[in-house]
Amino acid sequence: MNNLTQDVPESDSTIACHGCDLLISLPELDYGQTASCPRCNHLITRRLLGAHNKILALSISSFIFLIFALPFPFLYFSNQGKDYVISFADSIFNMVLMDYFSIAILLFFTTLLIPAICLLSLIYVLVSLQQKRLLPYTQPLLQSVFFLIDWNMAEIFLVATLISFIKISSLATVTLGLSFWSYVFFIICLVAGLSLLDRYQIWRKVKIHER
Amino acid sequence: MKDNHRDNAEHNHQYGCPVCLTLNDMSNPKCRTCHRHLHLINSNSIQHTIALLITSVLLYIPANFLPIMYTNWLGQETASTILGGVVSLWEPGTYPIAVVIFVASILVPIGKILALSWLCLSVTVKKTDSRRINLKLYKITELIGRWSMVDVFAVAILASLIQMGKVMSVYPGMAAVAFAGMVITTMLAAMSFDPRLMWANQVHQFENEK
Repeated sequence: MNNLTQDVPESDSTIACHGCDLLISLPELDYGQTASCPRCNHLITRRLLGAHNKILALSISSFIFLIFALPFPFLYFSNQGKDYVISFADSIFNMVLMDYFSIAILLFFTTLLIPAICLLSLIYVLVSLQQKRLLPYTQPLLQSVFFLIDWNMAEIFLVATLISFIKISSLATVTLGLSFWSYVFFIICLVAGLSLLDRYQIWRKVKIHER
Repeated sequence: MKDNHRDNAEHNHQYGCPVCLTLNDMSNPKCRTCHRHLHLINSNSIQHTIALLITSVLLYIPANFLPIMYTNWLGQETASTILGGVVSLWEPGTYPIAVVIFVASILVPIGKILALSWLCLSVTVKKTDSRRINLKLYKITELIGRWSMVDVFAVAILASLIQMGKVMSVYPGMAAVAFAGMVITTMLAAMSFDPRLMWANQVHQFENEK
């Protein structure tokens, strides 16, 4: 009887569109189907076969590539018989040495710490979803992924590296090091993994596990 | 086409969590799925966006007029601004990079500030005929905003790589800090703008009529 007086059914498949706040009752999606808002065309969710397993695999490999990007030379640079080498961390440390703490902090957070936290949280959450019961702190960690992911600028650092590579190559011989290639693969895996991540689908899985 | 404010979650005293999309009752202080604190849609969102936009415009002035990079070449020091950097890349013929830097550090920030001002304006004057295009504009603004940082990062990489004493060395300038601040404030402005306000317009009108 309650349904007659209430406009909106209180079921979990009813959501509010993130673009225009329209109430939508989502049908059960098949694999490969997408749902978008009838009023503002905002893409609401996409269900893909095995998306969460793929994200887990990509996150783990991305994190391994990130670790390998740290110790080895990032760029070699030789001029008049002298060789200069910088590692990924040097680009941050040298900013500190030049008293540009703000840029150093920005680089450290957006290209290293935030992607690393996001990857570790994603791995934890996805492992937790494969258990029978959710591991502790699953919800806050997943929430932090969605909060931090907007501040990830790792791929921008990669483009900036390529730009400075071309800028210097007219002055001296520059070679890309092992760390650089590892960083490239880190970004490929990161971007591929994040493109599969869907808010609605992953939180729905969390909700199902909570019961 | 469904275009009735009565179908809005806000009108039904419900609120969709922005993190997990769960529909919550407006009286709930926290989302029932992800336990996030819920902030309801309010018109303060526009004020925050405008305040952050003004900050970014102010930061954009020193970012363009102060040097972003000092180059020390055989004892001679030259300072270059953002626009000067684009010109110095254009002249030797490295057009693609000049275009990338020009788009990322001049076109995108200006376009972003204009787009967000337009969106704030169209919400305040309750303009309703181009809401779908406006939403697309908002999404594009949100997506490309980060890419302006490319120039700051390139300066940081060049400065840490080229340190050969008097032969050649590169140092960052204060414009890099101002520009980074500008990018961050425009990103915050885009995040604080709530596109749902474009469809909530009618709700306020409706309540005023009562």
